[in-house]
Amino acid sequence: MVSPILLIAVPLALAFLTPMVGLASKSARRYMPAIAMLFNFIVAMSLLPKALEAPIIVRTAGWAPPLSIHLVAGPLGLLLSSLVALIGLLVAIYGIDYIREGARARYDVLYTLLLVGATGVVLTGDLFNLFVFFEVLCISSYALVAYRGDSAGVEAGMKYLIQGAIGSSLVLIGIGLLYGTVGTLSMADIASSVGSVAGSRLFISLAFMIAGFGVEAAIFPLNAWLPDAHSSAPSSISAVLSGVAIKAGLYAIARVVYTVYGASSILPFLAVLGVVTLLVGEMCAFAQEDIKRLLAFSSIGQMGLILFALALSSATGISGAVFLIISHGLAKALLFLATGYMIYRTGSRDISSLAGMGKRMPIMSLCFTVGAFSLMGLPPFVGFASKFTIVRAVLGTGSTFFITLLAIGLIGTVIEGAYFLRIVQWLYFKPAPEAMPEQTEGRAPLTALVPVGLLAVLIVTIGLLPGIVGRALGPAADDLLDRAAYIQHVMGD
Amino acid sequence: MRKQISLLLLLIVAAGFALCLAGAPFGAEGARESRRLVKDNVNYGRRYVSKGLDENRCANIVTSVVLNYRGFDTLGEVTILFIAALGLGAVLYGRRAGASPDEAQRPSLILSTGCRLLFPLIMLVGIYIFIHGHLSPGGGFQGGAVIASGFLLICLGCRKKKLNSVALGAAESLSGLAFVLLALIGLAVGGSFLLNFLPTGKVYALFSGGIIPLIYIAIGVKVGSELSGIIDNLSGEVR
Amino acid sequence: MNFLTSYIHYVGCFALVLIGLYVALVKSNLIKVIIGINLIDTGVNLFLVATGYLGGGTAPIFSKAAEQSQEMVDPVPQALVLTAIVIGVSVLALALALAIKVYDHNGTLDLRKLKGLKW
Repeated sequence: MVSPILLIAVPLALAFLTPMVGLASKSARRYMPAIAMLFNFIVAMSLLPKALEAPIIVRTAGWAPPLSIHLVAGPLGLLLSSLVALIGLLVAIYGIDYIREGARARYDVLYTLLLVGATGVVLTGDLFNLFVFFEVLCISSYALVAYRGDSAGVEAGMKYLIQGAIGSSLVLIGIGLLYGTVGTLSMADIASSVGSVAGSRLFISLAFMIAGFGVEAAIFPLNAWLPDAHSSAPSSISAVLSGVAIKAGLYAIARVVYTVYGASSILPFLAVLGVVTLLVGEMCAFAQEDIKRLLAFSSIGQMGLILFALALSSATGISGAVFLIISHGLAKALLFLATGYMIYRTGSRDISSLAGMGKRMPIMSLCFTVGAFSLMGLPPFVGFASKFTIVRAVLGTGSTFFITLLAIGLIGTVIEGAYFLRIVQWLYFKPAPEAMPEQTEGRAPLTALVPVGLLAVLIVTIGLLPGIVGRALGPAADDLLDRAAYIQHVMGD
Repeated sequence: MRKQISLLLLLIVAAGFALCLAGAPFGAEGARESRRLVKDNVNYGRRYVSKGLDENRCANIVTSVVLNYRGFDTLGEVTILFIAALGLGAVLYGRRAGASPDEAQRPSLILSTGCRLLFPLIMLVGIYIFIHGHLSPGGGFQGGAVIASGFLLICLGCRKKKLNSVALGAAESLSGLAFVLLALIGLAVGGSFLLNFLPTGKVYALFSGGIIPLIYIAIGVKVGSELSGIIDNLSGEVR
Repeated sequence: MNFLTSYIHYVGCFALVLIGLYVALVKSNLIKVIIGINLIDTGVNLFLVATGYLGGGTAPIFSKAAEQSQEMVDPVPQALVLTAIVIGVSVLALALALAIKVYDHNGTLDLRKLKGLKW
């Protein structure tokens, strides 16, 4: 049997190897991230059926779980790491030709390590190890946002770094408080001893951790960095940041709240935060003229919806949240990737410059439309299935509080529909400006069309047959909700 | 305005800290006073101290924790330093720092000879620190930092010296690979990543602790070459 | 136990965190903000070490002379701090590289004068 630890160890080894490969052949080096992610995707998918039955506990250094760091490859962890690997693979293929400037050698390594960080976050079973992989993810994102070294990118990277660094320090204070209180760092072990300690110390450490992870997850008052960072980075990086990185922050919050603390009392607060984030994100997105900024704000809105669904604390609600993580990851990656070459073609990020794109780049425009419709939640696409699950879950709780919040949240979804339809209108129903010089260098190569097309196909397929992922969603939700089983699996008897 | 909001935020955080300190004692001291939280009379820190010597034959318990019980963290930590070095190179790519060597004032003979004389000694100290990481305070990170300080001295003292960035990159990659491979051998041999699969030898001897000194050597080389690479990137042209 | 002897180290490191937070939030010079972040890091690291402190304990390194494991401080926070220091250094290095680049582009390190993005 393959060990889930290979999901982290092998891409890491390949990342270390990449500079050496680069010495031998510069073109071979470009394929390294794709190879690493292909390996991860195959391994994660092959482990998933087994993990659906019972989480796979991986010990390191030969000691039984609470003593040393351990990985818990449960249904949720493996589902998310498959998603990370899938998006990572497609974006890596896209990046082979897309990245033309800057320190290409470093891009390939940093890109692989970003995804290693995300995989580590979703698989680890140790609180401090979660922090370490979280930092791997964050620091490589800071570097990649500023990768091109242009003025906007560097400033966005700086802003992201300052806020992210303060957030990480808060997380570390939270971990320190928790360690000082319970004397262990294994999540399952903390979970089993947290019940016996009451008091403000636990609440404060939880507050620090939520605030810290909330920076990366872009929860409302902490989201100032996101629109700049996601819009200034190269499009392939924006796709990974929006599709994968911010979800890691949200996963960390969910894991800490549900598994480590079992703190159901703060869930209504998180639900309110989620809806506020949703509204703020969608309203700001509506006002944008810059297509990448618009997509970035739309990510904030969707994160709010995911947080709201996670806070429902019911199996359907969390299934819906995980489903939305998957559908938003696919759709937002698709949108950013499609936008990347449109921007190359027009040389501008204004929405109005997209006029007539439907004729000039038909495949990209079609795929963009698929992604946009999926995010809006239109029926044949995956976005509909996930949003519908969330609505069903809210109605299922029967609580007036959540239904009111959902009603407010639906306003945000309407706004979202409005601005995406506006873009689609620009793409197809506005005449292209006459004096547009026909650039041939902006033509999308095969390495761009294949991933974008595949993402569109995936969005339609999963939308039509939600059962493909639906089977894994239930166990994934239980993975978060069922603390006792989690503790029992990790600690044994 | 900004100041007021910041002060308000600070007050909230300070109140949080104050609340934490109130009440029962905290941390290891607290665990000693009230055995309440110590399950089976064992707190993990305590357990490492009392059993670590037998389990890894490694006199420095912190090293034992860093490289064995929590070795996976260290792998992540090494990766983070690698990311920082790469990210710094990516951000500063194509940038040329400061005056060219011809314009800069030539170092005096005493300065450059002194630096060259000190350089091997600094290397020796650095290597000593990471080879003895399992016996005495210190280890790969500390030793690597000392080694990088030697390169910094060369950069400052004898301005003409340019580090060989290909060799640095190779050292960086290969030592990182060595760490992962050592860990993977454990997986292949004993079914557990980072398993201490070598005979652990006798405590206090140089050859003890199994794979712990080997990993620390890899880390020392890696940290040394990474920090030197950062110095190189900041002082010259980044390619 | 006396408040001063048991809590003075926590008070010190939390004060350091607060000072760092104040600097990072209020100052508009980029280098000062980075120093603020570094102060927070230092405070957090001290806090972690303090959680493992035992009155009268020695460093958790055995030597032939003293082999009394009861008198040693908790080694886990020290291992965590080793990791946290390296992370702090990495962030610091990257932040300074970005600051160099910001200065190259704008000729200033004053955050209020950076017009490209809204701060």
